[in-house]
Amino acid sequence: MGAEDGILGGDKGRVMKLLKYSILPFFIFLTAFSSLAQEKRYEVPILDSPSTGPANAPVTIIEFLDYQ
Amino acid sequence: MKVYKGKIRLIVKHYPYRYRDYSHTAAEASLAALDQGKFWAMHHLLLKKSPELDRQSLIKYAKELNLDIKAFTESLDKMKHSAIIERDKKLAVDMDLYNTPTFFINGRKVIGNRPYEYLKKIVEEELRNVKK
Repeated sequence: MGAEDGILGGDKGRVMKLLKYSILPFFIFLTAFSSLAQEKRYEVPILDSPSTGPANAPVTIIEFLDYQ
Repeated sequence: MKVYKGKIRLIVKHYPYRYRDYSHTAAEASLAALDQGKFWAMHHLLLKKSPELDRQSLIKYAKELNLDIKAFTESLDKMKHSAIIERDKKLAVDMDLYNTPTFFINGRKVIGNRPYEYLKKIVEEELRNVKK
């Protein structure tokens, strides 16, 4: 039993190491990456496309649509 | 939209899919209505009536909006606004857009049909950013 506990303990240790060195950094990277992705802002030329609302409005929404 | 009157500017770009029957014609119809100062009325009507967008239906909608039918039909049949529609479409392709609708809210890309609340949240965030 004692020997098995030792092996289990070793597994636990390995699992913790795995968490510490691979999974956790991966999630940190993922979180950072997705928040960076959210912050990306695209430049869309407005040109003479139909528009409504004041030109100096604080929020501009450009919608690409298909009626069908 | 009405809640944010004066705070939002909405711009429409057309991205009709090639394989859909009436996409291009419907976009033409909206721009033919624009020529007669009725773009938004036609825009809302087209969204409401979709996918009933064949030529006859479009002319019927133009009548509902009291448009000059002769000018409207001619514009439709000659595909008078083809260049604008193709320009929008090229822009969409160049920007790697594959879905409609795709929104850019102060440049932040939102893909696909989203619940009103979702769009509202982004608009509110943007309004807060401006106030800062």
